[in-house]
Amino acid sequence: MADLHIHTCLSPCGDLRMSPRVIVETALAQGLDLISVTDHNTCGMAGTVGDLARENGLSFLYGIEVQTQEEVHLLAYFDDLDSCTAFSAEIYPFLPDVPNDPVHFGDQVVVDATDEIIRVEPRLLLNSVTLSLEEVVARVRNRGGLAVPAHVDRTGFGIMYQLGFIPPGLGFSIIELDGDEIPPGCEKYAVLHSSDAHYPEEIGRRTSLLTLERVSVEELRRAAAGVGGRSIEYGRRRR
Amino acid sequence: MRLNELVDLLALEHLTPAVSLDRPVTGGYCGDLLSDVLASARPDEVWITIQRHINTVAVAKVTGIAAIIVCKGIRPNDDVIHKAEEDGIALLSARESAFEVAGRVHRLLFPEGR
Repeated sequence: MADLHIHTCLSPCGDLRMSPRVIVETALAQGLDLISVTDHNTCGMAGTVGDLARENGLSFLYGIEVQTQEEVHLLAYFDDLDSCTAFSAEIYPFLPDVPNDPVHFGDQVVVDATDEIIRVEPRLLLNSVTLSLEEVVARVRNRGGLAVPAHVDRTGFGIMYQLGFIPPGLGFSIIELDGDEIPPGCEKYAVLHSSDAHYPEEIGRRTSLLTLERVSVEELRRAAAGVGGRSIEYGRRRR
Repeated sequence: MRLNELVDLLALEHLTPAVSLDRPVTGGYCGDLLSDVLASARPDEVWITIQRHINTVAVAKVTGIAAIIVCKGIRPNDDVIHKAEEDGIALLSARESAFEVAGRVHRLLFPEGR
């Protein structure tokens, strides 16, 4: 059981309680086997959460949620921290140099495995990078990542709301949905349900059942294509 | 009003010279969210926007709008310009903000107010 869209305390909109410890404890309590943290335009917390998750027997994918020039939210998943960090560093210069105002947007803090704050991110993360959707997708793939448009059926920041329809030719195999209904024209995609948790209580509120040989980006791609009994099933809700 | 008159009066840059501007303009619509423009723009309106994604061309085609006016001096990339030319959509560039452009278009089309 997987929840591949969780924000940490580094996202301004993420609750300060969303520390590595709380995320891992809550995920385990929810019976999850695999998680990913996907902060806005950065993966500054992925290393710490990933280490703690693995120490506690949880599988982990490195992730980031990029906001493109078109204000489309795009998830990117990577197998290793180095690729994810390199991608994060690559897009950071394209994030407008607007300082975060914690009073209005929320705190952006990097914490360690014991909940101690070790760094404050000064630049507002909840903003669009000055790269098109196409450019971001190409950069994700160059680093060996998997690009998944986030909550495509959502009003605001979902690809269909921002762009009317999913542009053909971007090569997506998986989309993330909030709801249960496949939007028109999206029948060919595999569907992921994830929580998009910003608060501990939300972790695992939407999950997907993944049948994979191991946890990797390539296995997710194969599961999307239904290769060799692999699968992605959505609509698994917390009871 | 004809589109070519509007282009001259507003001194817009025509990014798709192969596309004829000889067609009527009856109104305008402002928006950067393509889902909203798809639902609300009407044929023969000019679409005033800062959106530059290639999907704008398809939205223009489907809605039957007269032209896309991209504001603030934003220049869509060559893929978008080529696609617009291919699909016969006039792509225009304005230096001013969407607010300024919309005000001017409105004054030209509806001098008596509406």
